[in-house]
Order: sequence, then structure tokens, then C-alpha cells
Amino acid sequence: MLASRFLRPLSTRCLSTAVSPLGGGSGTLSLFSPSEEHVGLREMVRSFAESEVEPQALEHNRTETFNLPLFRKLGDLGLLGVTVEEEYGGSGMDATACVIVMEELSAVDPAFCLSYLAHSCLFLNNLNQNGSHEQKVKYSPGACSGEIVGGMCMSEPGAGTDVLGMATTATPKGDDYVINGQKMWITNGTVDGVNTGDAFLVYARTGEARSDVSMFIVEKGMPGFSLGQKIENKLGMRASMTAELVFEDVVVNKSQLVGQLNGAAICMMRNLEIERVALAAMSSGIARRCIEEMAKYSTTRKAFGKPIGDFGQIQKMIAESYAEYMASKSYIYNTSNNLDLSSAGNVMDSDGVKLFAGKMAKDVADRAIQVLGGNGYTGEYRVEQLWRDAKLLEIGGGTNESHHKNMTKWFGKAGTTLP
Amino acid sequence: MRVLVGVKRVVDYAVKVRVAADKKAVDLANVKMSMNPFCEIAVEEAVRLKEAKKATEIIAVSIGPKAAAETIRTALAMGCDRGIHLTTDARTDQELGPNSVAKLLAKVVEEESPDAIILGKQSIDGDFGCTGAMLAEHLKIPQCTFAAAIDFDAKTVERETDTGTEVVSFPSLPAVFTADLRLNEPRYATLPNIMKAKKKKIDTKAADSLGVELNEGNTVLEVFEPPPREAGIFVDDVDGLVDKLKNEAGVL
Repeated sequence: MLASRFLRPLSTRCLSTAVSPLGGGSGTLSLFSPSEEHVGLREMVRSFAESEVEPQALEHNRTETFNLPLFRKLGDLGLLGVTVEEEYGGSGMDATACVIVMEELSAVDPAFCLSYLAHSCLFLNNLNQNGSHEQKVKYSPGACSGEIVGGMCMSEPGAGTDVLGMATTATPKGDDYVINGQKMWITNGTVDGVNTGDAFLVYARTGEARSDVSMFIVEKGMPGFSLGQKIENKLGMRASMTAELVFEDVVVNKSQLVGQLNGAAICMMRNLEIERVALAAMSSGIARRCIEEMAKYSTTRKAFGKPIGDFGQIQKMIAESYAEYMASKSYIYNTSNNLDLSSAGNVMDSDGVKLFAGKMAKDVADRAIQVLGGNGYTGEYRVEQLWRDAKLLEIGGGTNESHHKNMTKWFGKAGTTLP
Repeated sequence: MRVLVGVKRVVDYAVKVRVAADKKAVDLANVKMSMNPFCEIAVEEAVRLKEAKKATEIIAVSIGPKAAAETIRTALAMGCDRGIHLTTDARTDQELGPNSVAKLLAKVVEEESPDAIILGKQSIDGDFGCTGAMLAEHLKIPQCTFAAAIDFDAKTVERETDTGTEVVSFPSLPAVFTADLRLNEPRYATLPNIMKAKKKKIDTKAADSLGVELNEGNTVLEVFEPPPREAGIFVDDVDGLVDKLKNEAGVL
């Protein structure tokens, strides 16, 4: 059997020989790969992404299906539990390692990467930070291997940015809690389009005060827990399954309560920080790919007897895209390199990187379609998918408006002097 | 059985190389470098032997600049146990020739006494395809080149030829094997193994401290891109074709 990695189609190969000096030459330490393990991780994920994720991206986008076998390969590579302790089946790495995986996967298939995020960050990392030893022993190894696919339920049909306005309740009943409500926009909410996904961290109201929310682990098959609907016809992120999940008198034992009763708000805020930095990294990967495609096309496509890269309008689009991408990337990695996963209170920059990178990727993707012209408008050239996928990052994991709110509120709390 | 594997740091196979302005070499500035694909296949074969409990130790050796240590780390992350790095500032794509490499590897073999030496069949920068055979000659041991399958129990190797494959047998170990494309499909290093690789040992020595003459007396005169392929022509009939082939192309 010929080594398929060495037979990648020409269109996906890197035609550039120059590598950004800020990023270091290949394999060297830099802001973006601060240790040898990060270097090795990035090379491995990039190689895997180019050989195995790229070829299936277009088709899964078209059919709106989740590639479960490929997802499980991420488990084999030790990527699903990237921030989970080795004791529980993970790889025990840091925020930057998570960001590297996100960026490299998003450069070829942001939708597949989104499902990876929901599982590894929103479920596994949250559980790793906030769960008890018993809960981690029960769920982490299976999630790290990819045997179970997990997600997190926060948003509702009536509560998105106003997350603490959630209406889902968990009422105590003896040794149990009874959960009622609906959750919306749940990535990995379904894996086959028919049943729910395997395990979820579910936020529900358990007290009178606005911030009295608690977090529970709900499993597929629990009576009353069902798939409301698979959300179809999404603009982008189509290969990632999104669902509405319904809770009708779902009884969970108190052993499924994660952390303190009425104490989940801090868990939520803490995990939102790494989630937002990871989403910003997705924007970075999307932008990187768009710039590579623009640069490649501008040297090969000819008009009026010369490569279109000789024309100022194209030069402007490529140069501005590169500078914006590098500025955003530097902000993201500086933030992730200083992000302690067990800490909270990094709102300014976790919200800030996503706010900045989200718009950056959208702009860069738009320029990429423009540079590629008619070809950019077709699926085969990939940039139209990246353009559609990029838009989500201004909404999912926090709308732009939520970042505005959080960041200015933080100024109010912490004072107005900047470092 | 202990196995020695050679790994070379080369220009990544997907990069479109450019000739340097002085036409003396390929321009390597800021170019992405990776492990030679055939070396990856060699490492994979060795790691599979260890997993099948046929090998007890795998040593990865590389001859190259300081950055070649990264290539050894990749080999360690794939499953090799330790590394040997012979450092040199000579360009490994053209200054350091296959005979010099073979002599250096022979020194390593004399020191380490492996039972099997597995190399890639050729490097994708030099493309000589000679190192394995030269190494076997220096050591006076059997060589099985262009291996598509190696059976250490039956002592046979299926090797690739221009007309298909043939099966040869080797009398004994130690022996040199060179890996061809179909020998196996190399694995991705898993993240846990990438992390473990950091703790594995790499011994570093200068290549010119081994008492081997490294200058082979070859000078590269010029490096140039092949001329662009020109358009073909139509001929009217077979006679016209034969005429062109004989009188213009000079191949008949």
C-alpha cells in the first residue's frame, strides 16, 4: 500500500518556500511554538490535517455529516484529551497546545475542528478542571480515546448572550435532581442525526439568584433526554452537527453534580476563557489558509499578460491580510502562553482575542474569494467554505456583543489603567 | 535484535525548491525541512519490529547540522529509544557525499554493533541511492536494497526492481536494508510519544572527530532547473516519426 501521506494532491501542497521570520524557521522555537513538544505537536497535527482531514472536508461540508471515524483518529493521536491529566487518559498539555491543534485543524476543515473543540475543550477540559476524581475516572478515559463524544449545554432557544437568563432548571428530589428545559446550538448534540451525543455538561438553574446555576453530567439514554432536532442548513460549520436537546424530567443522581451546587458560574466563566482563545485560534487557521491560497493563486493566475500578483489591488489584499493575521496570531499566542487553565479572570484578553480574530478572519476570507475571483466562488478552491465558516466566530462561543459587554464591564471592575 | 536506523533532515518533499542566485546550490533559506520520507519508512519498520518484540532497542542516527537534532526527536517520538547525532556544517544535500556518510555510519555500527541497519533507499535531496550499498561494502555484510517487505524469521526480503519484485534471501545478520516506498505506511507520532521523546537521550559528536576523511573530491559545478517542457508536434505518419526520432532526436 503506497504511503498516502506522500501522495497529497498538488493543490494542497505548500508552494511557498518562505516561512515568516516571526514564526521561526520550520521546527524552531518561537512565540507560536514555545517548546520542543509544541513544535512536535504542530508538525504532527499539520501533517495529519493535510493528509487526512483535507480530503474529506468538502464532502462532509456538502452532506452536513460528522466524520466520526476521523474524529476517533484524533483520539489515537492523543489529541482529544490535550489538556487532560495523563492520569485520566489525556496528554497533560497547556492552553497553547490546545490553540496549536485548533489552528492547524482549522486551516483545512474548521467544521471538523469545531466538533473537536466542543469535545476536548467544552466537555473534557471543563470536566478536568471542575470534576471530582470519580467523575473524571468515569468519563475522561472514554472521551480521551474518542469512544464517547461529548459536548456542553449552555445556550437555550431563549438565552444566548444572556446566558444567566437560562430557564432550564434542576430541582432536587431526594438523592437526585430533575432537569427540565431545552438547550440550543449544541455542537456534538447529535453524532448520527437521530440520537443525542454521548455525554454532556449541562448548566441548569438551581436557585433563586441570577447566578445560581449548577453543572450536571447527563448521558445519552437517560430517560427524558432526547434530541429535539438536528439544526440543518447552517451557513457554515456544516460538517459539525449542531442540535437542540430536550430535557423532560431527566433524573440525575447527585453524583452527576459537577463542583458546588449553585457554584457553576465560575466554572462557566473559567472555561469560556480557553474556549474563546481556542475559537480565536480557529480564526487564525482560517486566515492562514486563505492567505496561502491568495498568495499561490496570485503567482499562477495571469491577466493582461502578467501574474495578477503584479497588480496593486491584489498586493494590497495579500499584504494587509498577512499583517492582520500576524498581529492577531501574536495576540492569541501571547494570551495562550500566559493562560493558566486553572485560573479565571483573564476576561480582557480571552474576549479580546476572539473579538479581534473573528473579524480578521472574516475580512481575510473575503479578500481571498475576491483574489480568486470566479474560482473563489466555487467549492473546489476551498476559500468559499472558509468564508462561510469564518462568520460563526463572531457569534458562537460569545457574540461580538457579549465581548463588548464583558470587556467594558471588566474596566469598570479593575480600573482603567492599562499595562 | 538491536536496530540502527538512519534519518536525514532534508527539504520537505512538498516544497517547490528554487535554485540559489549563484547557481551553486538549492536555496535553503527559510525553507521547510522534514525527515526524508524513506527514512520515515525505515523508522516505522524498526518501530514495528520492536512492537512485535523482535527488536529490543532502536537507535536513530543522523548526520547533519544542529537542527538535525529535531529530526532525531521525531524519530524518538515515533518510537526509537535513543539517538546519535553527528554534527557537521557541510551541506548534506551536496557537500557530504554518500561514501562519506557510509564511512561515518560504519564507525557508528562498529561502536554500537546493531543486528540490523535500516536506511531509506535514497534521500530526496541528493537522490544518490548509494549510501546503503556503500555501508554494507565497508562493513563487508549483506545488503538488501529497495525492500518492499522484510521477513527476519525466514531471512528473506522482497525487493523492488524495474520490472516487478523479486525475493532474495540473506544469509545472516548483521545486514543493511534500505526501505522502498511500499515497505510500510509510517505512523504519526502521537502526542504522548512526542512528550516522552523529550526524555530520551541523544548523544552528540562532531562528524569530523571520528577519523573519517569527509572530502570525496567532488565539486558541484552548477545547479539548474531542468528546461521547461516544450510543446510537442504532430507527425503525418510512422515514417515521419522514425525520421524525427533518428535524425532530430538522435535516439535511433
